[in-house]
Amino acid sequence: MIGQSKKWLLVVSCSLILLTACNRTELTTSDGRIQLNYWVLFGGGDLSYMQDIVTSFNESQDDIYVNIILQDFDDYYTKLVTSVAANRGPDVAVSHAAVLPELVNQGLTEPLNDLSQEVGLDFNDFYENLQDAMEVEGSFHAVPIDSHPFILYINTELAEEAGLLDDDGQPIIEETPEGFLHFFQEATEALPDKTGIAIPTGGLDVYRWWWMTYFQMGGTPIFSDDLTNPEITLDEEIAVEAADYLLQFFGDVIPMHLSDPYENFQSGNAFSLMTGVWGTGIWEAADLPFTAVPFPQLFDVDAAQGGSHTLIMPIHSETTDERQRAKMEFIQYVSDSGLEWAKAGHIPSKPEIVESQEYQDMPYRSDYASISPDVVYTDQTIYQSAAETDMTRSLDEIMAGRLTPEEGIQKMINDLEVTIR
Amino acid sequence: MNKKSWKNELRPLPFILPFFIVYVAFTVFPIFKGMQMSFFNWTLIEQQDFIGLAHYQNVLTDPNFWEAFGNTTLFVVLSTPTMVILALFLALLANLNTRFRTLIRGAFFIPSILSVSVISYVAIFMLQPYTGVVNNLIQAFGIDQEPFWLAEPSLAWVSIIGVTLWWTVGFNMILFLTSLQNIPDDLYEAAEVDGATRMMMFWKITLPQLLPITRVILLLQVLASFKVFGQILLITGGGPGTSTRPIILYIYEMGFERYDLGYAAAMSYLLFVVLLLLSLVQLRLGGKGGRMI
Repeated sequence: MIGQSKKWLLVVSCSLILLTACNRTELTTSDGRIQLNYWVLFGGGDLSYMQDIVTSFNESQDDIYVNIILQDFDDYYTKLVTSVAANRGPDVAVSHAAVLPELVNQGLTEPLNDLSQEVGLDFNDFYENLQDAMEVEGSFHAVPIDSHPFILYINTELAEEAGLLDDDGQPIIEETPEGFLHFFQEATEALPDKTGIAIPTGGLDVYRWWWMTYFQMGGTPIFSDDLTNPEITLDEEIAVEAADYLLQFFGDVIPMHLSDPYENFQSGNAFSLMTGVWGTGIWEAADLPFTAVPFPQLFDVDAAQGGSHTLIMPIHSETTDERQRAKMEFIQYVSDSGLEWAKAGHIPSKPEIVESQEYQDMPYRSDYASISPDVVYTDQTIYQSAAETDMTRSLDEIMAGRLTPEEGIQKMINDLEVTIR
Repeated sequence: MNKKSWKNELRPLPFILPFFIVYVAFTVFPIFKGMQMSFFNWTLIEQQDFIGLAHYQNVLTDPNFWEAFGNTTLFVVLSTPTMVILALFLALLANLNTRFRTLIRGAFFIPSILSVSVISYVAIFMLQPYTGVVNNLIQAFGIDQEPFWLAEPSLAWVSIIGVTLWWTVGFNMILFLTSLQNIPDDLYEAAEVDGATRMMMFWKITLPQLLPITRVILLLQVLASFKVFGQILLITGGGPGTSTRPIILYIYEMGFERYDLGYAAAMSYLLFVVLLLLSLVQLRLGGKGGRMI
């Protein structure tokens, strides 16, 4: 009898110990290094390059050990916000530039001005448009590690077949709105079995394309410059024009409602595809004959659409100067590893790295790196991600032919009004 | 004597206590916490200021709320009758004394053990244009059409209801089947002696005997359909546009994408009131003796 109850006691106390052990995030490793948790949202090719950077950081010194933790992309920000709210957030996390104002407004991120000076990280080393995007309410809250513009991928084998390549193997695109459309029309005519442009009828990619066209046409910012109480300053007329222009491609050059454009392009069934630069690493690995080119400037203004992955330092109620400094050192290391990170396709955040010979020697990347300074980053308002959903939905309706561009943009503005209400 | 019975009363307590604690912590407490939230401006991080009934007022004038509410109601109205009638039909089929009895039971029930993500993925895969099985089948029959099942609001609804039907009808079927097997044989024997036809037996014996379980299924089905969420989130994401966005998806978007938990809580309470009223009406109509018709 006594033996039995002792056994029970053992089981219970063991599980209690186990429970408390799980409950605690260890601050140091067993050999006494400062342990940092680093949350990332990357999938596919990106992740392995980031893992390499972390591994080489861990090997580069003996004081800090970084744990890379992959979180599911779909509810990444929800998890980030809730975990920080419960004071169990990561030490360093990836955030998109567009979400930064929201995170800063919720008081989730540590301002980095002083810490960056301590380790000698200078924000002036980054592209100017990136610097501006990192500065919210007067202080820097994130360190950019890249910019990832929206670009054009073309299957060179098919382009050759259609006779659309010049002697250097580059696509012959006349830089006018009609010329650009014509380029794809020719491809579709020459290759009747293939998809002209692989892009879904709705969703983020169309939004990105529309965004770029809108700013190339000289559109004003979507929101006035106000973090929490912005006004909608979208130029309705240009917005309609931009939507109108895109609409000409659908049905003819772009088949309606393609379900998997990536698969379509990768299997050689699509002449071209529009997406972010992260495709470069993927198709390089897939041995696809392709070229990656920036969108030509078709209208008055040189503008590109893009995002930026940045590193933020979520707040922790109890932390030491030593830990803060360790986090900053790691952030600096990643932002300096632009060359390694560029393997995924991203453009490094520092012009110095982009201009280096090693970067210029990388195939494809140097072809589009020049557009990095032209990327128009999103407005600094806490409503950006909600607004993105509104805009994407309205554009869906337009491209699917359920609303005219005029009606669709009107709906977009109405939805935005409700969002910022 | 007294002391002993007092002890007896307490004896089950250790067994009930763990459940009771979990129940209070995860069911009772959140109900009241949610109600509190609906009166505040509440982000994921912190509770801000008390704003009384302002959220409820805003909900009632929010066109998106009414659209989502309308969508959900449409789903309930379309899916519930089909769900109940089809389940009954399948149960009758599965109750037949044929060699295929086990096969039929298994075939219709198996989809309901799959998770929502699995069935949604299969559905998307089958319904996608150009390469999906459904469109290829249509074209194999010589119909030269490329329906965009998930990109047209009406077709998207057909798809969602079809998928939900395929996924969940098996459960209702099992409930009907159990009830069918509980109908005493002597009722049918007596009817046979009286010279009743099979059709008459169905209308006069089977259906009335199934009435209590039908009522239960109807109630469960309406409640479940009002809470439709997972398959729509995964299959259409509420699209095209917002034309298939149900109320729970809107609540989710407000709470976890826009971090406006107070507003989401207020909407949840309005939905709760609607469900409560519906349940009360159904229970009242049902009476007690099981003789509605």
